[in-house]
Order: sequence, then C-alpha cells, then structure tokens
Amino acid sequence: MLEVCHLAHGFGRQPALWEIPHLRWRGESLVHLQGDNGSGKTTLMRLLAGLEVPRQGTLRWSLDDAPAQPPPCPGRLLYLHQQPYLFDTTVAGNLHYIARWNGWRGEAMRRRIDEMLERCGLAEHARQRARSLSGGERMRLALARAWLLSPRVLLLDEPTASLDRQAVRDVAALVGALHASGCAVVLSAHQPSELTERCDEHWYIAHQRLGVETREAPLPA
Amino acid sequence: MNELMVTTGEALRLLVSFDPALWEIIGVSFRVSLTAILVSLPPSLLLALLLARVSFPGRWLAISVVNTLMAVPTVVVGLVLFMLLSRSGPLGELRLLFTQRAMIIGQILLAMPILTAMLHSTFQSLDQRAWETARLLGASWFQALWMLIREARFGVIAALLAAFGRIIAEVGSAVMIGGNIEHFTRTITTAIALETLKGEFAQGLALGLVLLLLALLLNVLLGVMRGRGQQTVSV
Repeated sequence: MLEVCHLAHGFGRQPALWEIPHLRWRGESLVHLQGDNGSGKTTLMRLLAGLEVPRQGTLRWSLDDAPAQPPPCPGRLLYLHQQPYLFDTTVAGNLHYIARWNGWRGEAMRRRIDEMLERCGLAEHARQRARSLSGGERMRLALARAWLLSPRVLLLDEPTASLDRQAVRDVAALVGALHASGCAVVLSAHQPSELTERCDEHWYIAHQRLGVETREAPLPA
Repeated sequence: MNELMVTTGEALRLLVSFDPALWEIIGVSFRVSLTAILVSLPPSLLLALLLARVSFPGRWLAISVVNTLMAVPTVVVGLVLFMLLSRSGPLGELRLLFTQRAMIIGQILLAMPILTAMLHSTFQSLDQRAWETARLLGASWFQALWMLIREARFGVIAALLAAFGRIIAEVGSAVMIGGNIEHFTRTITTAIALETLKGEFAQGLALGLVLLLLALLLNVLLGVMRGRGQQTVSV
C-alpha cells in the first residue's frame, strides 16, 4: 500500500509543480496517471520510485508484509523510464545481469530467462544486441527485465509514447498479463490508447492537484 | 641521404635479428610503463567517477586541477621527484632514486591526470539512467559501479591507450629519476638520447622505429575505440 501526506515537489526556487495533501492507494489496481505535458507526471513517478527526494511531505510504501518505508525498494518497486535504458549487451545478457545481481544461478535461472524471453516475444532475438531492437521490442525487453524480478509495483513512464499501433497492442497485452500476475501498475500517458483503456483507476494532475477516480472499493479510514 | 639509408637498414637489422641489448631496453620500457598504468587505473577510475557523479563543494576546482596537471612537463615531474627522492630529500631514506620503482612513480604521476580527465569525460557522457536502472533492478552499489565501467569500456580503453602512449614516450622524468643505467633503468627514450650523443644512430633509430610503430598501433586502436564508443553513446 502507498500512503502520501502533504507531498509537494518542484525544481530550484520555482513554485511546486503540484501538491498532494493526502493519497492512500491499496496497490492492487492498474492506474492511469494523466496530465498535460509539463504537469509533473514524470516527477511524481520518480518520487514514487525514490529517484527524487520530495521538497515537502512524506510517502511510504508497505509492500507485502514489510513495514511501511520510504522508497526505493529495489526489486519490489520498479520504475521504467520513458525510454528504458538497455545495457550494452545482448537481449539475453540484459536478463542475465539481473539474475547475477540477485544471486540467481544455475539451470533453473537459465530456464526462467528463456521462458521470460518467450513470454515477451523476444526468444528469437536472444542473441541480438539489445540496442539494435525496435522501439516496441525495447519496451518489451524492459518489461521482461522487470517481470523477471516479480515486482509488487511497476511504475511505467509513458510506455507507449512513440510506438506504432501494433507495438502498443503488444505492450498493452504484456502489461495486462503482468498486472494479472499480481503486480500493481501505475502508468503515465497523456493520450488515451489501448493500454489506458485497460486501467481501472485514473489519477489526473490538473491545477497543481492530483485527483483520483477509482473503481476500487474505498480503503477504510 | 645515403648515410640515413644505411643507418635505417642497420636499425631494421638490429630489430629483426632480436639484438639482445636492444630488446632488453624495450623490455624495461614496457615493464615500467605497463606497471605504472595498471597501478594508476583503479585510483583514476574512482576519482573520475567521483568527479563525474558526485556533487561536492570545490568539484569544479578539482576538475580544473586535474586538467592542469595534464599539461605539466615531464621534466618538472622528474625534478620534483628527484628533490624528494635524493639523499638529502625528505624521502631519501627510501633509496628509490635511480631505480625502476622511482620511474614507475614518475610515470604514475604523469598517467593519472590523463586517465582521470579522460575517464571523467567518459563517465560524464554516460546516461544517468544506467545507474538508476541498475540500482532499481537490484544491483548493489559495487555491482552498479562495475556495470557503469562496463558500459563505458570503450572510453576506458581509449583513456588507457592515450595514457600509455604518453608515458612510454616521455624522457624527462625517466632520465632524471631513472638515471639511464644500462641493464636496469635504460628505456627506449633515454637510450635514444644517449645513443644520439654517442653518434650511434642505428640503435637510436631502431628504438625510434619501435616507438613510431607503437604510436601507429595506439592511434589505430584509439580510432577504433572512439568509433565504437560513439556508436555506443549514440544508440
């Protein structure tokens, strides 16, 4: 669950981009974060991921049974940049990095990586340089990397920006499957798409405030 | 012109006949310079990362100092080290003057500013997302650091080649703190200077050819690395 209190952030001496007096999120739904260009969607996502320190206020995550803590929560709470950074190695090598960092070894790990590449439609590209992939394939590889860690929450910054219709459809299917596997997702997008149509909760930034529309049952106070 | 041709022919003969005296000098040069480069690399890497990634007061002054140190003449480094290591100097007790160790220290002082400056610019041009992605995906601080170095590998190799090229070709510090002692501290550059003074141009020219070939090889490798590095950054 996410709990935000009196959160505000801005850059330098400029006024705050927005203020969020209070937000409680169960951390189960597929959320679409909306807002115009420059409204501060990316900033909010980076704050939620722990990549920025808020100017004011607090935010805490309680993921699984762990006590509430401020981000980052490596492996459990993941953030994907608008253009995900792919390591300068092969497609499979990108997944092997993560396996190594998390201490996974052996045949089981190799099978899991192969299975993940298959699931994300990248099996035939396994030996290809990651940076030679197309935009849609890059996003699918970034999702495969994230999925390998079975994250509890995934923050996607404009995942379908500059993708063609088929690539959007592929990414939407993967994000849907990830969500169905038990991963809550917050994705930002300023244009409706096949992906945003799947969302069951909408957060919108307007007039320096965050509004929430939800189909979820309200949390007990 | 005829004398130059004869001397060049003699120089080539010395090289291809594996003249022991000549190859011993080449061996000393490479041993000293490779050791200096290997010792210089870890602290230069850390310093470059610190300057590129961490904000602290006086950072820009530190970067300016590193850039200035790149231009220090080799004889000045030799002079300072000579004063420190000579018997009456503060480090005279160590009895390092006119040894290969002293030459290695001198070359470390020459290599570190080049390595640090080039590595700093390499790390600064690396994408900020690389570090964030690695940390979010579960890399420890050291694993993320190693990943950054791997991502910047072409720049790191280019910096190594440039620094190696500078220190193996320097003569000022080597002659002042090495002393040009035969079978011990005589290097390619100090030997060239000595042979020229003696009028033995063939050996000097042979050693010069080695340096020229090395410079050519390093430049070709640098060109390849720069090309690959740019490809890596641009995608």
